Amino acid sequence: MSDGGLVAEIEHFLEQASGNIKLVDKALSGLEGSYVELLTLLALGLLAVIPVIVPERRRQFYRHLNQVFGIFIFVFVVFTCLGVFGMIRNLHRGLNEIGRENIIALYYCSVPVTILVTSMLFGPAFCGWICPTGALQEFVGMIVGRWHRARKKAGYPFSWRLLGLVLLITAVFLGWMAYISARRVFFIEDASIYWSEVLVILLFVLVWQMHKWDSRLRRLRVLSFVIIVAGSVAALRITSPVHFGFSKVYDPASLLATVMVILAALAVPHVWCRYLCPWREALAWAGKHSMRRLETDTTRCIRCGRCDEVCGVDAISHGYIDRRECHMCLKCVDNCPAHAIEVKDTWQAVD
Amino acid sequence: MAGCRLIYSIMCVLVLVAMLASPCGAGADLAEVPDTLWPALRGTAEGRATCQWPASMSPPNVREWHFQSKSRRRYRPGLAVWASPAIALVGGRPMAFLGGYDQALHALDLVDKERKWFKITNGAIGAAPAVGQVNGRTVVFWGSADRTVYAHFALNGTRLWTRELVKPTNTMGEAEVSSPLLHDSKLYITCFVYDRALARNDQKGWLFALDMASGRVVWQLEATQGPLSSPVGREMDGRFVVFVAARRGLLQAFDVSGEQPTRLWSYQMPHEVLGSPAVEEGTERPLLFLGSKFGNLVALDARTGEERWKRMAGNWIDNSACIGMLEGERVVFVGSHDYNVYAFRAADGALLWRRHLGGEVYSAPAFFFKGEPMLAVAALDNRVYVLNAKSGKVVTSYYTGRPIWDKVAKGETLWGSPAILAAGEQTAIVHGSFNDWVYVLPVTGECTLRAQVQSAAGLWYGLGIVLVLFLGIVMPILLILSRRNTDPAPTA
Repeated sequence: MSDGGLVAEIEHFLEQASGNIKLVDKALSGLEGSYVELLTLLALGLLAVIPVIVPERRRQFYRHLNQVFGIFIFVFVVFTCLGVFGMIRNLHRGLNEIGRENIIALYYCSVPVTILVTSMLFGPAFCGWICPTGALQEFVGMIVGRWHRARKKAGYPFSWRLLGLVLLITAVFLGWMAYISARRVFFIEDASIYWSEVLVILLFVLVWQMHKWDSRLRRLRVLSFVIIVAGSVAALRITSPVHFGFSKVYDPASLLATVMVILAALAVPHVWCRYLCPWREALAWAGKHSMRRLETDTTRCIRCGRCDEVCGVDAISHGYIDRRECHMCLKCVDNCPAHAIEVKDTWQAVD
Repeated sequence: MAGCRLIYSIMCVLVLVAMLASPCGAGADLAEVPDTLWPALRGTAEGRATCQWPASMSPPNVREWHFQSKSRRRYRPGLAVWASPAIALVGGRPMAFLGGYDQALHALDLVDKERKWFKITNGAIGAAPAVGQVNGRTVVFWGSADRTVYAHFALNGTRLWTRELVKPTNTMGEAEVSSPLLHDSKLYITCFVYDRALARNDQKGWLFALDMASGRVVWQLEATQGPLSSPVGREMDGRFVVFVAARRGLLQAFDVSGEQPTRLWSYQMPHEVLGSPAVEEGTERPLLFLGSKFGNLVALDARTGEERWKRMAGNWIDNSACIGMLEGERVVFVGSHDYNVYAFRAADGALLWRRHLGGEVYSAPAFFFKGEPMLAVAALDNRVYVLNAKSGKVVTSYYTGRPIWDKVAKGETLWGSPAILAAGEQTAIVHGSFNDWVYVLPVTGECTLRAQVQSAAGLWYGLGIVLVLFLGIVMPILLILSRRNTDPAPTA
């Protein structure tokens, strides 16, 4: 009674893979779920400390290692914790439980609070060093890194090649949507496909107007954040694009959204983080008030533009750093020929 | 002209007489409908949870109804609200019997949309009642956490008997009493009581056989330590066999035909078990199906306990399976906490389809026919779904409300599963939801709770709306607001 065909075979494979993706599931299932957040917290703590302690030499190599490790840990080991929507939802739920069920409150608040607190202490290194969504975009962006840098240098002009790529991405989105809409029932939690749709529309805007509208469009993150918060208050469960990776359930809408984020990162570097990630908006605030930040010594800066070139999220311009946008990847620090950009720890400065 | 009037008058009278005499006259019709019974947890050993209206009779008008008991103060947080219902035709009327943590059993008339009677016990009712006959009269039997089995006449709620299963001690906790199983003038029921006092340390799971007419304990057997599932039984080789699963995963089969029960076989499941077994009926070599909290669905030979096949879901299967017939072959349906409903071919365990729903499927499926074979299941997205049992496609769904508690103790207790009154066009689902309401939901026709599961068309409309909103409202607002200041503040 099940349908045949290659696509159905692929879907069946994905379903099977989703069911078996959690490597330590069976070993730890006796602990009845309580290990999930603890493991996440442990992994997060370890991963968050690395940006601080890692040696400057070959720092980017260690960063990528950290990202790969982060993907491995969060996709193969722990459950629904690091979805960029889920963290906001969990934080809201956890806050509601304080005073009534403190253990549950700790359970739900632990991950988002840990990330927010470490972001305020050490800078928003979560985005640049840990976040699996960001890491996926960065790794994909490496394939076309030279092209991205050339476009950036030229001021993001209109490009037929980019338009072709965006049309291809659109075709993938519509085709995939047509397929899964014919086979599956959709619910409010599948609303990440609407984020995918907005991502596709944004790509068209960016083909023509990226240089002009880049900073304006970043305010969409606020809207995205507000929608997810409102959804949390209304008890609507909207799963993040990468949610399928964190759960054991095959989730076609989430998979589609993830693929769209990855494809869109081919066209525009870190497009999800720049324009739509609601959790990024929270971390932008934390990053702005962080005790650890990047600062440029203007007396040393030679205005060579190397930092602009290497920054994946356009958070720096000739030495001027936008702390709201900075992911603390430290690429600018490592690539500055004049060593004009440095990590400033304001706690140490006070001491 | 006068002749015409006469003919017209005669015709009118004949039509009137025909109308009164026809089967559509509900009062005359309902009285002739024979009583049907509900002898086990989910109606039958196959767990279809369906009460069939006689095909020869025109069905009564069953409309949407929301019922709420007013004794909310008796609830305890974190526990189930309503147990599964039992549906039976009593005195020609379809009636649903269900209890819950309001400690009362309610008898609901599905046609008149009123509670006919209710009986308050001294403990929560955590499992479905059973409906059987004693001396030609229909009786409802149920167990309560007050360690007592109750037998009341279904029509008016008059007490037939009550039987305390276990003597209380001053350190004893509440009992877990299962659904009764009725067969051949005997009632089988399990009861788990714990007494944590060091001196007693009693945690026995008992299987009882009571006399249906008097409530006398015919025999009792300590089946295991720990709670037991509701018993399910069927006749095999001229003897009646009762199957019981212990919470710790021990599945046992007892021959209860003699004066004392005899254990036929046992099987240790890979993990904890919350649900009850489902057993094929009408076959010589029946299979038994049981899910575990580890996500296993195991098929055993019901005669020998030998494992035939085993399948794994992505998450817990904590409720019972149900067995239906599709195109001449048996299919076992089961819901899992991995959001899916599965359909396996009973003979070899081949996966026929699986349907991803919007939430963890906590209920046992109910199988019924309404033109096509259908399934009804409840999921943790607060919906009851009706699926096409052949393809798994969602036919319709109903929003049955959010839990009245902030969180529910998932996997610790079974919540109520839907049951069906299959009456052609008047087919309805009865479901006690965890929002404190009992719903009677017509499968066809108007129903206010019919949830709009997003159709393919709705999905594309949604995409269109987002497109218009984004380009027509969000982008212009963004651009207007951003004109004031677009450059980031430098922090050199």
